[in-house]
Amino acid sequence: MKGLLSLFIVLFTANSWSQNVKEYDLYVSDTIVNYTGKKVNGIAINGSIPAPTLHFTEGDTAVIRVHNKMHHETSIHWHGLLLPNEQDGVPYLTTAPIKGMSTHTYKFPIKQSGTYWYHSHTMLQEQNGMYGAFIIHKKEEVPMPEYTMLLSDWTDANPHEIERSLHKANDWYAIKKGATQNYAEAIGKGHFKTKLTNEWKRMHAMDVSDVYYERFFVNGKTEDQAPQFKPGEKVRVRVINGSASTYFWINYAGGKIDVVASDGMDVQPVPVDRFIVGVSETYDIIVTIPEKGNAFELVATAEDRTGQASLWLGSGLKQLQQPLPKLKYFEGMKMMNDMMTVGGNMKDMGMNMSLQQMDMNAVMYPEITGKEQPKKSTAMPEMSKHDHGQDSNTNPDIVTLHYAMLKSPVKTNLPDGPVRTLHFELTGNMNRYVWTLNNKTISESDKVMIKKGENIRIVITNNSMMRHPMHLHGHFFRILNGQGDYAPLKNVLDIMPMETDTIEFHASEEYGDWYFHCHILYHMMAGMGRIFTYENSPPNPQLPDPKKALKMVYNDDRRYYFSAEVGLESNGSDGEMRLENTRNFFDVEWRLGLDKKSGYETEAHFGRYLDKNQYLSVYTGFDFRYHNSLERSKNLFGQMSTQDQRAVACIGIIYQLPWLVNADMRLDHEGKARLQFTRKDIPVTERLRLWGSWNTDFEYSVGSRYILTKYWSLSAHYDSDMGLGGGLVLTY
Amino acid sequence: MKTIQNIFLALVTTFFFTGCDAQIKNPKTETVKVYGNCGMCKRTIEKAANERGIVKANWNIDSDMLTVTYDQTKTNTDAILKKVAYAGYDSDLFRAPNEAYKNLPECCQYDRPVKAMAVANNHSEHQGHNMADMSQNNDVLSVVYTHYFAVKDALIKSDGKTAATQAAGLVKAITAVPMDKLKPAQHTIWMKILNELKTDAEHIAETNDVKHQRDHFASLSENLYTLAKSATNGNTIYYQKCPMYNDGKGAFWLSQENTIKNPYYGSAMLTCGSTVETLKP
Repeated sequence: MKGLLSLFIVLFTANSWSQNVKEYDLYVSDTIVNYTGKKVNGIAINGSIPAPTLHFTEGDTAVIRVHNKMHHETSIHWHGLLLPNEQDGVPYLTTAPIKGMSTHTYKFPIKQSGTYWYHSHTMLQEQNGMYGAFIIHKKEEVPMPEYTMLLSDWTDANPHEIERSLHKANDWYAIKKGATQNYAEAIGKGHFKTKLTNEWKRMHAMDVSDVYYERFFVNGKTEDQAPQFKPGEKVRVRVINGSASTYFWINYAGGKIDVVASDGMDVQPVPVDRFIVGVSETYDIIVTIPEKGNAFELVATAEDRTGQASLWLGSGLKQLQQPLPKLKYFEGMKMMNDMMTVGGNMKDMGMNMSLQQMDMNAVMYPEITGKEQPKKSTAMPEMSKHDHGQDSNTNPDIVTLHYAMLKSPVKTNLPDGPVRTLHFELTGNMNRYVWTLNNKTISESDKVMIKKGENIRIVITNNSMMRHPMHLHGHFFRILNGQGDYAPLKNVLDIMPMETDTIEFHASEEYGDWYFHCHILYHMMAGMGRIFTYENSPPNPQLPDPKKALKMVYNDDRRYYFSAEVGLESNGSDGEMRLENTRNFFDVEWRLGLDKKSGYETEAHFGRYLDKNQYLSVYTGFDFRYHNSLERSKNLFGQMSTQDQRAVACIGIIYQLPWLVNADMRLDHEGKARLQFTRKDIPVTERLRLWGSWNTDFEYSVGSRYILTKYWSLSAHYDSDMGLGGGLVLTY
Repeated sequence: MKTIQNIFLALVTTFFFTGCDAQIKNPKTETVKVYGNCGMCKRTIEKAANERGIVKANWNIDSDMLTVTYDQTKTNTDAILKKVAYAGYDSDLFRAPNEAYKNLPECCQYDRPVKAMAVANNHSEHQGHNMADMSQNNDVLSVVYTHYFAVKDALIKSDGKTAATQAAGLVKAITAVPMDKLKPAQHTIWMKILNELKTDAEHIAETNDVKHQRDHFASLSENLYTLAKSATNGNTIYYQKCPMYNDGKGAFWLSQENTIKNPYYGSAMLTCGSTVETLKP
C-alpha cells in the first residue's frame, strides 16, 4: 500500500513538471573509518566514502535533498554545472549553509552532459571524504561500456591540523615523504652549491605537493576492480580528480590512452601515453580491454610519487604498469634557482611558457631525463648493467597530454559582446602559506563586477612556485590554445609556475556571485580566488543578511593560526608562541633561567608584513628582562646596553636576508638600538636542524634540534646569557 | 642425563622456532608459483617479498614455488606477489612490467609464461604499419635517422658516452648509404652534405665531452634538415629550435615528436624550444 502510494506520488510529480524529474536523497553523517589500521573521523554520504555516484540525462530536472545528520553545518557544490546561482552550493556566498540536523533541497534543470562531480564547499570537509561523481548522459547517447574512476587523497591527520602546519612551514610532512632536501643529501648527490644557492634565494625545500597522504584512492579503494568488461572492448573511463590537493599522473599498462573529453566537454580524440589530471579536473578517456584471461592496470600516481591507486580493467592475469620512479628533487631545485630572482620573482627567461607545454618539472622525472647520477659511481658492475637496460628501455618519446592538444569538435566562439580583459597574477608566499591573486586574498579584494552579455577575457600569469588549478563556477571558459575557433571549453585551468594563459568566457548568467578560485583546498582556504558578481543582481532569498553572509565568506582567509615552540632544557626554558594570519602576527618570546643568576627575559610583539614576498615586516612591542649577574657594557653602536635590567617599549623592522637570515633592527623608547641576526632550522640531515643568532649587544646563541616526532625534538644549545643546556623541544 | 639432554634439545628447538617464525604474528603460510631461473633470482625474489616481522619468503629453484609466511592482519599474498612482480618476476596473479623484466641480469631472464600481453589497441597496430612502411620505402636513409635520433636522445640526457657510441654508428651508417639507390633530388643533396655530416658525426664519436658534442650536433642537425626536407624516414619529422644556444644565436634539431625535449642543455632547459617546421613524409 505504502509502495503504491509513493509510486503514485512519483508519477504525479513527474507528470506535473512535464519533464523527467530525477530525485536523490543524500544523508551526510559523521563516521569513523579505518584505512590504515587507525580509526579516524570521516564524513560519509549515504554511509560511504566517496559519496554515491549520481546519474542524470540531459534535460532532466534534478531534485536532490541533502539531509545533514551531523551537528555542524555543511554544503554541497555541483562542480562544473550550469545552474541558477542559488543552487551553486557555496555556503554564505550563493546558498544557505545546511545547518546541523536539517535538510536542504536543491532543484535545477540539467542543461549539459558529461563527467562532473560534487563536493562540500564548507571549510575542509572535502578532505574528510565529501566528494562524489555526477554523471550526465547525453540524450541520444550511443551506448558504450563505461566506468567512473573517482580519485582522491586520504590522510589520517585532522585536516585543520594539516592546515595549521602548512601555515607554520613545519617540515614534518617533508620528513615523512623523504623530501627534506637537506644539506647532507645535497652534498652526497653533488648538489651542495645548488642547495646553497636555493637558500640564498630565500627558498625552503620545495616539493610538487605540500601534504603527506597515507593513501590514494580510486573509488575509495587503493585497488579497484572492473572485471565485467569483455576482451577487446573499448571502455570509456570517466576520470575525476576529487582530491583535496593531489595531482595524478594516469598511465595504462595496455599502452595508449585516447582522451575524448575534459571537464565534461568533448574534445577531438587525442592518443597519449600519459596525462596529468589536476585537482578537480575531469577527463574522459577510452582504453581497450586486453584479451581473455588478462587484466591491465590503469594507474593513478600522485604527482609527488609517494603513492598510487589502481583500477584493474579485465579479469585474469594482471599486467602491472611500471611505477613512476622517485623525483630528482635537486634537479628541480637547480631549475628553480635558475628561474627565481634574488628579489623573489619568477622569470621565464623569455620562454613564453603556457598551456602545460613545457613541463619544467620534467627535469625531475627519471623516466624522461634519466636516472639520478650519484656523484661518485659506487654502483657495482651488475648495477651499471641495470642502468644500461633502463636507458634502452626508457621511452624518450613518451607523449604527454598538454592543453594545446585539446581541440573542441565544434566551434566554441563566444557570442558577440563587449570584451573586457582582466589580468590576474597568481602570487604566494610558500613559507607562510599565503596564496593570493594580484597579492590580495579574497577578503582583501573587491568583488569583480561583470555585466550579462559581456565577454570576459582573463590573462593569468603564475608568479608563484606551485601549480594551481583555477576553477570557475557556473560557466565554461575557452582556453585560447592556438586551436582558433575550436578552442576547448573547460572549467578548470591548471597553470604551472611561470606560465601565462588566456581564457575567456561569456557572462551568460542573469545574476549572482560566482567563485573563481584555486581548487587546491588549502590554497582556496588561504584566500586564493575572486568573486565575479553580476551587476544589479536581485537579493538572494537564501541569504537574508547578505552583509553578514559575505563576512562569513571572508572569514575563511582571515583566520589566525597558532603555533609554538617551547624548549625545556637543563639551563632553562626558551620559547616562542605566535598567532598569525595573512598579514599580521602576534608573538611572545621568553628565556627563563632555572636559577636567579641566569635571570629571565620576555618580549612580545605585534607586527605586520608589508611587501609582496613578505620579506619585510614591522612590529611594536615590549621587552622585560632581569639578569643580576650581567655587567652593563657598550653595544656595537657605542650605547650603554641594558642587558641586566630592562623594561622598555620598542618598535622594530624585520627583513629576511638571503640565505633565510632574519635581520631585526629595533629601537626602544630609551633610544637604545639593537640589530639582531637569526637563522632558524638549517636542515643538516633529514632530522637534524641547526640554528644561530647574534646581536649588537654581543649576545649570541647557537643550537641544534633533532626531530623525533611531529611535535617533539631533542635539543641542545648554548646561550651567551644562560650557558649550555640540553633537553626537549615541543613544536606545535 | 638424558632428561637434561632432552630439555636442552627442547630449548634449542623452541629458540630456533622463535627465532624464525614466532616473530611473525597471526601467521599464515601459502605456496604460490613464481617464475624464475637461478640462484640470483632466488635472492631477488625473496628480497622483494621479505618484510621484517611481517613476511618471510622462501623460493624453491627447482619447483618455482614461493612459500610465504606472513602476518595476515598486515598483508596478503596479492600484495606480496605485487612486490615480486615489480622486481621483475611473473606469477599466476601478476605479470611484471616489461621494463622490470628487461632490467633483470641476463642469467635471470627466465622464460615468461605469457610472452606478451596483447594490446588489442588500434594505435599499436598503426605504429606497426608505420614501421613496416618505413623499412620498405626508406630503408636507405632510415639507419642514418635512427642513429641521429639516438645521438639526440643521448644528448637530451647529457650522456656523452652513449652519444659517442651512437655517433660512431652514425658514421658507419653515413658511409654505408648506397648512393645509387637514392632518388636524383636526394642524391644531389646527399653529395652536398655528405662530408660535413661525416665530419660532425666523427667529432661527436671522438669525445665524451657533451659540450663539444653539442657544438657539432648543431651543424649536423642543420645539414640533416636539408635532407629531411626532401626525404624523411617515412615518418613525420619535426624541426625544432632552441632559442638560447650559442649566446642566443639559437640552434636546431630534428625530432620524431612534437613535444620539445631540448638536446642542447640537458635537464636544465629540457622543455625550452619550439617546433619551427613540420616535415611530412
